[in-house]
Amino acid sequence: MKNKLIIVLSLLFAALINAQIKIEKIDKIGLEKIINERNGKVLLLNIWATWCIPCREEFPDLVRIYREFAKDNVEVVGISIDFPEEVNQKVIPFLKKQKAGFVNYITGFKNDEELINIINKEWNGAIPATIIYSTDGKMVLFMEGKKTYKEFNEAIENQLK
Amino acid sequence: MKKIKTLIITTALAVVLTNVNLAEGLKKADSFSLKDYNGKTHSLLDYKNSSAIVLIYVSTQCPVSNAYNERMADLYESYKGKNVSFIGINSNKAEDIEEIKKHAAENNLQFTVLKDINNVIADKFAASFTPEVYVLNDKQEIVYHGRIDDNRRKENVQVSDLSDALDEILAGKKVTNPKTKAFGCTIKRVGK
Repeated sequence: MKNKLIIVLSLLFAALINAQIKIEKIDKIGLEKIINERNGKVLLLNIWATWCIPCREEFPDLVRIYREFAKDNVEVVGISIDFPEEVNQKVIPFLKKQKAGFVNYITGFKNDEELINIINKEWNGAIPATIIYSTDGKMVLFMEGKKTYKEFNEAIENQLK
Repeated sequence: MKKIKTLIITTALAVVLTNVNLAEGLKKADSFSLKDYNGKTHSLLDYKNSSAIVLIYVSTQCPVSNAYNERMADLYESYKGKNVSFIGINSNKAEDIEEIKKHAAENNLQFTVLKDINNVIADKFAASFTPEVYVLNDKQEIVYHGRIDDNRRKENVQVSDLSDALDEILAGKKVTNPKTKAFGCTIKRVGK
């Protein structure tokens, strides 16, 4: 009986995640709004792509971070830099497989350079990249390359102190 | 009071001038030696008579780098008769010499590809992604750094940044856009 209940709940949870996954395009104005309108929340922004192996490898840790900190005034947002026409074929299936509950967008920027420079003028464009913004929308940490749950966790905990 | 004012203005001017000099100053590339996939050692000094040297950090596995294989081969073909040297550098820890050799043959990459064991040269250049380009002039100063062009899809390219930079160098002009950016795969370094 207990096992059946667990299976039913798991299926319901998976169905809920799948139903929630919608990907919209994001541009300069949209990203600046997300960064600046913090409403007292810390922001973890992750730039990723389905073709990027380290991005895929670190993704489960981001999903875990989202689940653990959702109640703690932490917002997790992802921006995929896959081509917009690949959303249905590549991006959504990946997010479903990851059971990603957090909001993800697909790049709608004029070009790569526009997105890179809005985030960090010192950044050359290597992904994955994860950026932590304080509750007043200031970038407090820029992390390039694959990171671990521990690194994400520490970065957020430092902002919640 | 007047002296303090003068001192502040002089200091501010010195800071501005220093920044201008730094912005306009070109960084000379440190020479290095690496082996290609056939075991032959290449030094940057071997290419000192080139009008320009194109260093491209490449990967055998990165989909972005691979999307540029054909364009890299075409650029090499276009400029090899113009005294421009192309050198690929593979700094990824997981991509060994045999894999690099096979990849070059399969993708018709006829320019030299060097193996940067322990990413020593990537660290020297602070290279972070593939395909990342550095172009050196005949004094081996870095005159262009960034992307090959502005789109991962060849059919959507609007600006051919590397080609434009090479044409300007060969014409004896200053590179108009010496620094460009694009997304690429992180160079997988040792210990990371």
